[in-house]
Amino acid sequence: MSDIADAHDGQTHHPGAATYVIIAAFLGVLTAMEVTVFYVHALHPVLVPLLIVLAAAKFALVAMFYMHLKYDQWLLTGVFIFPLIIATLLLVSLILLFAYLSNHMAPIG
Amino acid sequence: MAAQPKPLPAHQPSYLEGGGILGWLTTIDHKRVAVMYLVSALFFLALGGFEAMAIRVQLWRPDNHVLSAAIYNAFFTMHGTTMVFLVVMPLLLGFFGNFLIPLQIGARDVAFPRLNALSFWLAIVAGILLHLGWIRGGLPDAGWFGYANLTERYFTPGLAIDWWVIGLLVSGTSTVLTGLNFLTTIVAMRAPGMTYMRMPMFMWSLMVTSILILIAFPALTIGLIFLLFDRFFDTHFYVASAGATPILWQHLFWLFGHPEVYIMALPAFGIISEVIPTFSRKPLFGYPMMAYSICLIAFLSYGVWGHHMFATGMGPVADSAFAVTSMLIAIPTGVKIFSWIATIWGGSLRMTTAFYFALGMLLEFTLGGLSGIMHASAPIDLQQTDSYFVVAHFHYVLFGGVMFTIMAAFYYWWPKITGRMLGERLGKWHFWVTVIGFNLTFFPMHILGMWGMPRRTYTYGADMGWTNLNQLETIGAFILGVGFLLFYVNIFKSLSSRGERAPADPWDGRSLEWSTASPPPAYNFATIPQVRGRDAWWILKYGRAGSRGVAAYMAGQAPVQPQPSQPVSVEDIHMPAPSIFPLVLSLGVGVIGLGLIIDWYRIILFGAAVAVLSIVGMGFEYVDFGEQSHDPEHAPSSGGVDVRKIGLWSFIGSECVFFASLISTFIVYKSRSLAGPGPKIFNIPLTSFSTFILLMSSLLMVLALAATQRGDKRWERIWLAGVVTFGLIFLGGQVYEFTSFYNEGMGLTTNLFSQSFFVLVGFHGAHVAIGVLWLSVLWVAAMTGKLGKSRALSVELAGLYWHFVDVVWIIIFTLVYLMQAVPGA
Repeated sequence: MSDIADAHDGQTHHPGAATYVIIAAFLGVLTAMEVTVFYVHALHPVLVPLLIVLAAAKFALVAMFYMHLKYDQWLLTGVFIFPLIIATLLLVSLILLFAYLSNHMAPIG
Repeated sequence: MAAQPKPLPAHQPSYLEGGGILGWLTTIDHKRVAVMYLVSALFFLALGGFEAMAIRVQLWRPDNHVLSAAIYNAFFTMHGTTMVFLVVMPLLLGFFGNFLIPLQIGARDVAFPRLNALSFWLAIVAGILLHLGWIRGGLPDAGWFGYANLTERYFTPGLAIDWWVIGLLVSGTSTVLTGLNFLTTIVAMRAPGMTYMRMPMFMWSLMVTSILILIAFPALTIGLIFLLFDRFFDTHFYVASAGATPILWQHLFWLFGHPEVYIMALPAFGIISEVIPTFSRKPLFGYPMMAYSICLIAFLSYGVWGHHMFATGMGPVADSAFAVTSMLIAIPTGVKIFSWIATIWGGSLRMTTAFYFALGMLLEFTLGGLSGIMHASAPIDLQQTDSYFVVAHFHYVLFGGVMFTIMAAFYYWWPKITGRMLGERLGKWHFWVTVIGFNLTFFPMHILGMWGMPRRTYTYGADMGWTNLNQLETIGAFILGVGFLLFYVNIFKSLSSRGERAPADPWDGRSLEWSTASPPPAYNFATIPQVRGRDAWWILKYGRAGSRGVAAYMAGQAPVQPQPSQPVSVEDIHMPAPSIFPLVLSLGVGVIGLGLIIDWYRIILFGAAVAVLSIVGMGFEYVDFGEQSHDPEHAPSSGGVDVRKIGLWSFIGSECVFFASLISTFIVYKSRSLAGPGPKIFNIPLTSFSTFILLMSSLLMVLALAATQRGDKRWERIWLAGVVTFGLIFLGGQVYEFTSFYNEGMGLTTNLFSQSFFVLVGFHGAHVAIGVLWLSVLWVAAMTGKLGKSRALSVELAGLYWHFVDVVWIIIFTLVYLMQAVPGA
């Protein structure tokens, strides 16, 4: 049986309850993995990339399945993704700019 | 069988007729809202112009003291703030944008008419708040850029900066709502056949500008919120002695500030791209490249903010990167200038006043662009920073480029807006006086800047050798003032009984607004036009587009006046009902701001009550009337996507930048605290549990939506109640966490870590609380049987917002909580 259910007015198809529950299970497992990674000292050298990958996976699952970007028109994806890219660039740029500032500024006090 | 359409009445009442004062106060008609923007902007233009003249009088001679230094500072601050936020943007977006978007895309109104009225009234409230310093506390005096830490209470006590902060926050909210509205309208409400590549270039520019607004203004909002916290709640976001850096303000401000230049310039480019083809009687040269150039300019504009900060010592890599992007942006800008010239080349020119101003813009803006390229070079910029050369540059861009365009737009669209022509003879006087006054005022500033005259200087010594050029500038400023006086006279003459009446299409125009009456009826078009190509109205008139259409015109073919193929009775066109609530809600917001500044909590509570009641009132209006026109011809969506969904996604996109600014500040500041608790204070097990709860609430949310969509009322209620409960559990966890931190000695103002943490997580919590409130309302609606399958979109929209809050928490949980072991950025 397909778990794809017809959505309102037949314009778009949203997944059914089974898919939603599976995604929730994935989200729970990924969160548990994040917390585990945090507590395992041996993984600390790769903590940042690991956590970023896990968080990105959770983010993508919610955006694609719960927010229905996987099923809705490309327009909505564009409206979301472009500012998201800008926001990410902003985040990285500010961190890098201030990292330089911190390394080159006179010590406080 | 379809009913026979009734004939159109001989006289179609224009949007200006009827309603009285109450009709204007409650209007949500985009054209009336536009006219109200015009009136307010013309008032603030006169005020900002007066401030500029006063500045020039003060600089007339050395050691002058016509103004006190304090008033001088206030005047140059308010001149910049007024011109940017209360004149140029309201004219370009609020006036021309509002009036022309539905008319050029063949729609009856904007996507969210009430929101549009709310944007206007919020802009008015912002203007009032910004100027209340005249009455109490003094005018803001830290520059339009409000550099930290000059704006801290320690350096600028009193109320002046408070007015500025609150005023700009309200103004920013208004602008973001406008951007969201315009983007949704242009994306979703174009007439049948109007593809993106058939849109008028002005629509392209406004669409891209709206995106820029949505991604640029959140940075300013965050910068202002930090400043507000510093001034009102004793945090230290910009206080160096607490380990913070005032440079953070510069980054946040210019992250907004440079895109802001293009938020003003891009609509101007769009307008010029309408005026030049009409008066050259040629299609716009290189239409696709013009459209792509607008997109590229907008994208690059977000990566050039650092060229305002070369002097802060960002390092050679950052300087080089910003220099490269700043130089790159000249390429698409150059494409536009060459395309305009190519459009004029070989055209059958009509030398109207509008065309004069368009030509003037081409020359003056190019000069401003050339000096702009100089600023892209870090070594040269270091010599020019904070000198009058910079003042010359941005006035050539913003006055020469933007204000000349605004004037061209006035002469071009005034007949459509008012049904009256502006005087051509007086207009040409206006043009020449403006050109002379403008260049006399601003060109010598290049030289003074190179000679070392600093900008914002109150006065100068006689031995500096700057007197003659300053006097020339002051004379120029007065000539410029005369130019504006001629403009105002022209307006009043046009509106008086002596004003010449305008036909529907006085310029033989190319786009759809010229197909309707001057001034247009409230519903814009009796039937929604069918678009068959670019220059939609030209094609309807001459049957052909492009050069063949021009050939038909040159061969003397008379334009036809197309009649609607299926005229409908105007009684069958239903426009959204007027509403008093946008005005009342804005007043409530204004009262909250007022109460915050004069520190009277009862006023704040009163304002909040008014605002909440207004929102509830609007909610009831929404239930009664729906947000959209019921006219079946006027589809509220494009490609099956409801406008509300596009609007909400646009808002979510904007929120991405909002939270990115907050998160980056936390990361930058978390390890810069000089004393007190740090990230080790986090209770990871508790937060992990909260995270799990919030994630599972998202599952319940999609199940609630699925239940609503299949009409299962029982499970709809159960799942919605579940989401609300999980949301409340999450909020309870946050309250517990905050309380335990407080008990362990970590309050809001303890150190940089605590303040950036509390503000970030607190704002997220506020979003969750709003979500819980929203979902509670839906749950009540479900319990009373008012939700159901037909209103599934309401649940979907609330769900989208809820899931977004969820994904933001995913990022916060990772970057803020789990990465605490990572050394600071």
